[in-house]
Amino acid sequence: MDSTESVESPAMTEPNPEPQARAEQKGPTIAISGVGSPAAGRKRRGIGNVQLKGLGAYYGTNHAVRGVSLEFGSEKVTAIIGPSGCGKSTMVRCINRMHEEIPGARAEGEVLLDGLDLYDSAIDVVAVRRAVGMVFQKPNPFPTMSVIDNVTAGLRLTGAPRGELEDRGREALVGAGLWDEVKDRLKGPGAGLSGGQQQRLCIARALAVEPEVLLMDEPCSALDPVATLKIEELIGELKQWVTIVIVTHNMQQAARVADTTVFMLNGELVEVGATDKVFTNPDDDRTEQYVTGKFG
Amino acid sequence: MASETRTQYQEELERLETSALGGLDLVNSALERTLEAVEHQDVELAQLVVADDDRIDGRYLEVHQALITLLATQSPVATDLRLISALLHVLKNVERMGDQCVNICKMIPLSGNEPPADPEMVKLILSMGGQTKTLIGQAKRAFAGRDVELAHDLVRQDDVVDNLNRECFRLALEIGDDADRREWAMTMLLGARAIERIADNAVDIGEQVAFVVTGLFREFEDASRPAG
Repeated sequence: MDSTESVESPAMTEPNPEPQARAEQKGPTIAISGVGSPAAGRKRRGIGNVQLKGLGAYYGTNHAVRGVSLEFGSEKVTAIIGPSGCGKSTMVRCINRMHEEIPGARAEGEVLLDGLDLYDSAIDVVAVRRAVGMVFQKPNPFPTMSVIDNVTAGLRLTGAPRGELEDRGREALVGAGLWDEVKDRLKGPGAGLSGGQQQRLCIARALAVEPEVLLMDEPCSALDPVATLKIEELIGELKQWVTIVIVTHNMQQAARVADTTVFMLNGELVEVGATDKVFTNPDDDRTEQYVTGKFG
Repeated sequence: MASETRTQYQEELERLETSALGGLDLVNSALERTLEAVEHQDVELAQLVVADDDRIDGRYLEVHQALITLLATQSPVATDLRLISALLHVLKNVERMGDQCVNICKMIPLSGNEPPADPEMVKLILSMGGQTKTLIGQAKRAFAGRDVELAHDLVRQDDVVDNLNRECFRLALEIGDDADRREWAMTMLLGARAIERIADNAVDIGEQVAFVVTGLFREFEDASRPAG
């Protein structure tokens, strides 16, 4: 992260290059993969691979994440589990550089997206957050905006042509499994939707800018079981288009949605493995103790 | 790490394990009375064993239902999940062992009050039964102690039962031309076969011990590929 290597990244300097222009760009780039939305018939991508190398994170002197090296594979859902305060949300926030927004917070080590160091000094942090979208615990639609304006807010900020906004917004809503429920109320307030719909609206908003990676920090903790299951089904569909990292306290949810599960404790990575292995026969006794509920 | 949690769930799981393994004591008791009924051609005692099988079936149903409830309400994972899966298998074995005792006891009236018994064959069957009782007790200890080595040793003990069963078969073939004696010998062979199956069920419980401990299920012996 201390590297001063100059990284030419058109996606960072030119917020919204046309797809044709994007394909012709040279050099390392992040964001805007050029793929369409699920509704547009995206193909499997094989991109969106995230690597953490010796990642550490601090809040002042508090060492919250300690030397985590980990890979989040493309087209995979990875669940991060662990007791409160173990550093899982902090680690995830390091991936899209949200962690550094907190006063006194800093990170060390490397975070690579398809081989590109996201902490390189030449990297535009806005581009990072467009490439690595995030969905939070509580749905946070813009309260004064309509449904469609909520979805296209990110697109407008990145300078997408006005003529494309509605189509891309619709595609994002279809991708988030919300289109059928809101197609007749696109101009209605986003805040008027149910909690589960609002969360899928936020997912649609994140998808609209076509991220490579989607971080989900307890995305269902404020939702009822039916809304939770809809989000979980959506995660299963979205993983074809976007790498998904989900932080969850709900171990059954991790077991249901994740291909890989990561267990963290006291800021350290304890175990990474195929989800069925972690939940039937974990290698580490601490994982065993945690998933069986013997502590937490 | 924080303090222990889910103590009620853990206590319930322990209680159900104790109850399921207690089913093996019921089976041992049933087998002991079955052997006594065979030895003395005691039809009344045999009928008692048949009637008492309801206790074994009741244990099966009660613990099985409670385990299903735990699965539904507690979402067990890892060792707990393997333990519950194994206990469901053990319960099925317990129920089958009880049924085999019933099968033997139902045959006793068929051979009449004073059958043309061959003392050597009866002795062999009693010996099989005694050895099988040892297996059942060992399977229980192996499970309770999560002792994989002791569980593996069940295979060796089971070989003794298998050899005795083969010896029974040889005696039955050589029992002579008398129709009544042949009929009695065939009935006893079925009894010996039932005891041999009970011993196999004990070995199956041993395999579950290894599964609980290691997370891997492997048959100790593949019946379709006899050791060469």
